[in-house]
Amino acid sequence: MTLTLANHPITAFFAGPKTLLDGSRLQVDLEELRRYLLEDQRLESVDLEIVGPGDSCRVGYVFDIVEPRAKETGAGPDFPGILSPIAAAGQGTTHVLRGTAVAVVDGGQPGGERGYTSRRGGIAKILEMSGPPSQASSYGNLRHLVVVPHPHPEVARHSVLNALRLASVKASVYLARTAQGKTPDSTQVFDLDGAGEDGRKDLPRVAYIGQIHGHQHGTEVDENILYGGNTRGMLPVPLHPNEWLDGAVVVSYSWGARGLDTYFHQNHPIILDLYRLHEAKEITFAGVVATTSSGQLDELNRNCMVAAQIVKHTFKADGVIITKYAGGAPHSDMFETARLCEDLGIKTAIMVSDTAPDRRAESAALMNIPGVDAVVNVSEAADISWPAPAVETVIAGNPEVETLLADLKELPGVSVCGVTNNQGASRLQSIIY
Amino acid sequence: MRVVHYLNQFFGGIGGEEQAGLPPEIRPGAVGPGRLLEQVLGDGTQVVTTIICGDNYAAENVQEVTAMVTQQVKEAQAELFVAGPCFQAGRYGTAAGAVCAAVQEDLGIPAVTAMAGENPGVDLYRESIYIVDSGDDVSRMRDVLADMARLANKLAAQGVIGRPADEGYFSQGKLRSEFVENTAARRLTGMLLSKMRGEAFEAEVPIKSIEAVPAPPPVPDMSRATVAIVTDGGLVPKGNPDQIPRAFAQVWGAYSIDGMDSLQAGEYEVAHGGYDNRPVEQDPHRLVPVDVLRQMELDGLVGKLHPEFLSTTGNSNPLENSRRMGREMAARLIEAGVDSVILTST
Repeated sequence: MTLTLANHPITAFFAGPKTLLDGSRLQVDLEELRRYLLEDQRLESVDLEIVGPGDSCRVGYVFDIVEPRAKETGAGPDFPGILSPIAAAGQGTTHVLRGTAVAVVDGGQPGGERGYTSRRGGIAKILEMSGPPSQASSYGNLRHLVVVPHPHPEVARHSVLNALRLASVKASVYLARTAQGKTPDSTQVFDLDGAGEDGRKDLPRVAYIGQIHGHQHGTEVDENILYGGNTRGMLPVPLHPNEWLDGAVVVSYSWGARGLDTYFHQNHPIILDLYRLHEAKEITFAGVVATTSSGQLDELNRNCMVAAQIVKHTFKADGVIITKYAGGAPHSDMFETARLCEDLGIKTAIMVSDTAPDRRAESAALMNIPGVDAVVNVSEAADISWPAPAVETVIAGNPEVETLLADLKELPGVSVCGVTNNQGASRLQSIIY
Repeated sequence: MRVVHYLNQFFGGIGGEEQAGLPPEIRPGAVGPGRLLEQVLGDGTQVVTTIICGDNYAAENVQEVTAMVTQQVKEAQAELFVAGPCFQAGRYGTAAGAVCAAVQEDLGIPAVTAMAGENPGVDLYRESIYIVDSGDDVSRMRDVLADMARLANKLAAQGVIGRPADEGYFSQGKLRSEFVENTAARRLTGMLLSKMRGEAFEAEVPIKSIEAVPAPPPVPDMSRATVAIVTDGGLVPKGNPDQIPRAFAQVWGAYSIDGMDSLQAGEYEVAHGGYDNRPVEQDPHRLVPVDVLRQMELDGLVGKLHPEFLSTTGNSNPLENSRRMGREMAARLIEAGVDSVILTST
């Protein structure tokens, strides 16, 4: 399976009479895009704005951030199971508009809807485009198309969320289709074929197990996570890493999904780094497993066992990296999977996230299992905040949030998209003093 | 800079174990290691007062000694307080930790001491004061004092204190979020490769065992036992009378189930942001099984269902806080004569 990313760096992104890509200049006909998004009859209206690095602008609450990507004509499905019929992702050419993103705004209220609740009842995810918070975020230096869908009031909440998801991938593909047939600035080829070839037989085999959802938050029946499926009852699934990068996986709904965005499924930092090491012939990248953290003990034991067995017997891995969904409970599944892998003779490295409100190291050490001793500690920014600068523009999903964001005095680090990240992108580390 | 220095009877040059009962003595100027300390702290520093106290006296009269030392430091108008170094001397280390913590707390000036890792003073005081790692070799006195002086000068100048390993002090167990050079992904792959190659690597969390909770003795006869239900799943009466927060709860509640055969959906809600609350709100027995226990009480399988259940939110709760609430809950239940508790979580 060979995936070619055709990279088109964008240096200017602006509204104009026709949607087109002219070299590195991306012009978008917002009216045409609006009509396309409003084909979804659940939506009453859609606000569209383009914001860029340094703009005095605050956006909230963010539903998801997606990188604009589109398959070359005939090369395969775009976001299969959501936008395209189900077919394997991860092969052929995908055009990527580098330096841009689609940020979709949710007009719902955090804490107001069951199963989609804010952890502390406070503010949810914010995109900040200026000042120190934007510099600390992976998204502050991107040019964003901000999409604010307004559903008809009678549409049920789960269906509203489904409409937001659909709008996110439609806008992403709509923008990137401007690159179809165009010569990219650069290409990246992702290919694991030849993993068994000579010259690799002495290399350690390394796999990745990533949680794509946490079932303590439940899912909606029409929630799209893996190939459009909602992951209920899902056992761990072995995937080709290219599928993960190429639209098979999007983030689940949750105001609590801190540090998870579809952008870093498409640019998954761990998968990309394992590819780097594979190409450098330091390892053989053996494969990836998508799993979930569980809501019940039987489910936990079953999922952890199956994931460890896949890595041992299907991937024949010597080492594995395991990461978790946002929050505390998913640590249990991650540690148990790591314990089982170590028992099978597979070396593990895992990534915990520290939310300790009292900033005591003792509170961050959630578990201790002999052998599970390679632990990276991502801070969830409990002790980071910035004074919120007055901004010229607030883009929000409803008037109450607009007022709240405009009057904000302080921006907690945990609420700024792209500061902390459970997919490996963050440079924020919890350090023990 | 004016400095007050604390020494035990041995390093103060008074005597060995036979002088361990010595009450505190005040000497003007530097004594023993204090002269070296003055040198390594640099120009303009002066040890104005030295306090020498016997190890046993300090151990037996902690409050008196800390109060007296604090008073002396205040009177001396010191800007820095130094105790030790104490190396492996346990009573000395414990006293040095106590006086440093008291001076820092009461007077707001920096205090520094030094000990070997095995010194019991380290675990007692590492979280509240800076303790330089002296090792156990007394012949390294000059190096240890130099490490202490470097840290003390930084503290006095209100400079940025670096990481424990870089500055040479014992970790205070405090977490600080910092932006670092490598992404978490890079750190993960790097750590895994080191581990697979058998090379050294350092975990980014404290790898220490969490104390095991011993299993209590079995209840001899459940048919005579009073059973209580305690949950950290956040079930509360509608309106959340104790305002238990959805995370980081500092409080817990006790709610009557006296005479009730079951809990009515709609009369309860869930204060917990860590799971999908809907199944419990549809049927509170999924978390607090009053119905089954009441039936068991009727059937004589349990003696009595305690007439209230206790509830809090376990979500993101620091250990120290959880321990406190656990102790408070246990005390209430023991006072009420409860023999056995069913703990439910989510």
